Amino acid sequence: MYYYIVNPAAGRSQTKNVQEKIRARLDELGIRGEWVKTTGPGEASKMAAAAAAKGHTTVVAVGGDDTVNEVINGLTAHDNVAIGIIPLGSANRLATQLGIVDWRQACEVLAARRLTPYCLIAAGQKFFLSTLTLGFETDLDKNVDTTETGWKARAGQLRAGWGHARNFRTLRCRINVDDQYKLECDVFSLSIANQKFLNPLADNRLIVALSDHPGHSLQLGSYLWRTLGSRVAGSKTSNEPAGLLEETATTRFLAHRVVIETDPVTGIMVDGKVAGRTPIAIRLTDRRVRFITEKVVADFKGAVGPKIKS
Amino acid sequence: MARRDDVLGVTGADTVIGAGVLVEGTLRSEGDVSIDGTLTGDVTATGDVTIGVNGHIKGGIYGLNVTIAGELDGNIHAQGETTIRETGRVNGDITAAGLAIVSGGQFTGRSLMSRQSELDLAPAADQEP
Repeated sequence: MYYYIVNPAAGRSQTKNVQEKIRARLDELGIRGEWVKTTGPGEASKMAAAAAAKGHTTVVAVGGDDTVNEVINGLTAHDNVAIGIIPLGSANRLATQLGIVDWRQACEVLAARRLTPYCLIAAGQKFFLSTLTLGFETDLDKNVDTTETGWKARAGQLRAGWGHARNFRTLRCRINVDDQYKLECDVFSLSIANQKFLNPLADNRLIVALSDHPGHSLQLGSYLWRTLGSRVAGSKTSNEPAGLLEETATTRFLAHRVVIETDPVTGIMVDGKVAGRTPIAIRLTDRRVRFITEKVVADFKGAVGPKIKS
Repeated sequence: MARRDDVLGVTGADTVIGAGVLVEGTLRSEGDVSIDGTLTGDVTATGDVTIGVNGHIKGGIYGLNVTIAGELDGNIHAQGETTIRETGRVNGDITAAGLAIVSGGQFTGRSLMSRQSELDLAPAADQEP
């Protein structure tokens, strides 16, 4: 039975306006289920864990990335429970990455119930599925509001982002990779994700991508444009891997575990939310979650990072 | 900062180490590797290994096909071809099924041409190369 955890505060409270429409559509599709609302941060985790304990086999996060991440962290001990998303938040990167762009499509996706298992990534004590960033992208998220859409908003974001980018000082970064080698470099931005999240054909591995400061204004502008674009659902770049996890990274490698130190110490963000500071150990776990996804294997155009050998 | 065209074959390589990056230890990959930084240690790959113009390795390379456009102080064990490009410098021995040195490339060491089937596989993860 489906269990819907709703964050009423998501998306600047837009859930209020569409709740009844969503429930009606779910009813038409025969997947209505139980509908509960959170009343504060952290509740979605507890509700998800309680739902799994009661025997629910599908938990749906109705909200944004924060809500989804809370549900993930509540279900890490229940790999028999499938997770779905109805994206209603200000930031819906996870949903976008899974090919889900709005609530109407999300309802169809839930009914189709295509499941893809992913291993979770642990950063310190927290688990996540999508992307961890540090460096400029983290700074960008903290200082530029990327939730507004439209050309005017994007122009404003570019202007604000440009100033931050030009003044951003690179971090001296030391990374221990699988206790096999150590890497040291200046980092402008660093991203980590599960490569399977970017390419369903790939194995579960951490993909680490980083770059130093784009030397040329044109490169900086292009990088900024793509990074801002990846924050906006429905934009041309929103379904592509965010930021450095595409081929613009100057350094890229796969790992199971990395320990990252930076000078100076800096914050890290997971799916746009501050999640800790360096130094930090990040590892791929064997905890799996099964997501209800839109993407099918045939839709995926190519691998990010590793070539998939047929 | 490394430009993409400074690292030969960067597009599609599984592991890419950009210019200015210092690496110490054994870098293992189940695919292709491109290095434009500085590595002290060995590279072990089941795919192709490419050392870019800015790349410098002090250690051995074990791979399928190896291309050197930078600098290597160490030995190469290639199951396929080894190519030293015009900017490449190798100071060490080369064991490969084939060897090509482009005019301008430098090689100081011994070369052993072997059939692919006779070449040792890259060292396993738990063995020292």
